[in-house]
Amino acid sequence: MEWKDVFPVIAGAVVILAVALVVKPALLGEPIGFGSRGLVPAGDPPAYVPPAPVPTATPFPDDGKVYTRNFRWTAIDGGVQTTQVTVPEALLRERRETLRISEYFAWGEYAFADADRPILEDLAREIAPPAANPDEGYFRLMNIVFFVQQIPYDKDDNTTSYVEGALPPHAIYKKGGVEYPKYPVEMLVDGRGDCEDAAILMGGLLDALGYDTVLLAYSDHMALGIRMNEFNPYYAKYTPRYFEHEGKHYYFIEGTIFDGYCVSPDSIAVQGKPNPIGDTQDSLPSVRSETPQIVPLRYIPEPGEYRIRPARLPGGGA
Amino acid sequence: MSMDPDTPEPSGGPKIPKLPDLKIPKVTVTRKQALTAAGTAIFVVVVAVIGGAILLNYTADQQVAAFSSHVAASEADLFLVSGKITVHMRTPTNDLSVAECDAHMREFAAIARYGRDVTAYHRQIVAADTIPEAYTGAQSAYVRALDNLNRAFTFWSSAAGAYEMRDYAAANRNLADADEAWRAYAAAIGDYDRELRAAEEEGAEEAGESIPPPPA
Repeated sequence: MEWKDVFPVIAGAVVILAVALVVKPALLGEPIGFGSRGLVPAGDPPAYVPPAPVPTATPFPDDGKVYTRNFRWTAIDGGVQTTQVTVPEALLRERRETLRISEYFAWGEYAFADADRPILEDLAREIAPPAANPDEGYFRLMNIVFFVQQIPYDKDDNTTSYVEGALPPHAIYKKGGVEYPKYPVEMLVDGRGDCEDAAILMGGLLDALGYDTVLLAYSDHMALGIRMNEFNPYYAKYTPRYFEHEGKHYYFIEGTIFDGYCVSPDSIAVQGKPNPIGDTQDSLPSVRSETPQIVPLRYIPEPGEYRIRPARLPGGGA
Repeated sequence: MSMDPDTPEPSGGPKIPKLPDLKIPKVTVTRKQALTAAGTAIFVVVVAVIGGAILLNYTADQQVAAFSSHVAASEADLFLVSGKITVHMRTPTNDLSVAECDAHMREFAAIARYGRDVTAYHRQIVAADTIPEAYTGAQSAYVRALDNLNRAFTFWSSAAGAYEMRDYAAANRNLADADEAWRAYAAAIGDYDRELRAAEEEGAEEAGESIPPPPA
């Protein structure tokens, strides 16, 4: 065989290759050459990366300066109690420097704040000591409620509502005045607060006892709702008020109720008084007429839809 | 020396015969030879047609198999994402502290990132598949499903970011948008199943087979 015989064969093969690798892909819009559209160089499939752990906050030193407050209050058995609370000064300072959010859903964060928690647990143990008899549960609950209700009431606008004698830097200025939802330790150190402060403190203390609570937001007031299956004590001369939320009953608890007596002649803060669960007789008109917005204290946004649907495979796969 | 252009023959050289003197060799084709040649030609054409058809069919099958394997890989990864979501959604949140609530939401953000990456990765692969025309509807519906799922996970990420900024209203808005994207994803999966069945029925009709009814 001579070169002249091989040449046409090679030329033919070159033409066929050119048509297959260049002309046809160019006409059909496919990649030119040996590449295929089915083989995309996409790398390895992504893997789940768990969130990085967040370093825990440094605990407040035990030997640092503290605020000591004494509260005199009447317990459910009629006995007058004195309860002492100590709060690290550094914790109060940190709280005062923490930004406040006017949205109600954020306020549960104040009630359940981790740094406030040990103080609330100690306080709850002192006010409502654990009892062997489960029937004591009601008395423990009512002592927490009565303790908070008897903390003097003072408006957020008043400088007397703060231990420093001045409005905190993160007070929220609104059309109707000032709003400043206090962390529990702030209300304890200040020794006074308004309706949302009392509801937040009570919510934190009751959570330490294991109760499920919600905030009840009215147009001009805030109270607490406590989850109970049924509450209808024989002594009640009223129909206990409750609200339904996600199939659960939350009974109304007033956090601040008073007869208008000032704490002292030179004070504008008024002394609170005990009030039973579900009783709205002495509450504000809004409480008696409105249906409150129910605000869960633990707010975690949850999606409604999240189910991935299996797709059938082409070619008879499962 | 001059040369006559009509008789170009140098004097004294070999004598070139004149054109009219050339004789075309006579080819005698017998009937047997003619039939053999025709038969060979027909055979070659038939082999080429059958071979071409087989090659085309083989290519189409290969394309469907590649598409199927890419959908299978996507479904396998989505199954892992689904497992993470299910475990997360089943975690009780009634007794969490604020720090635990934050950790719960950070995990939600990590799942959203994972889902977003998985859907983007498989969308790129499935969309690049060359497939027979009958399957383009199914491919397009599956890509649409992955796009919607990717959008849903992106909204989840935004919701987690808004939660971190304590902008609960924005978090709720993003979750509402995510729910809508999830519903669009479910609809696209329904379309995909319908398109896939139509493509398979078309293929079965051509092959004379029957397709079992879809599971209830």
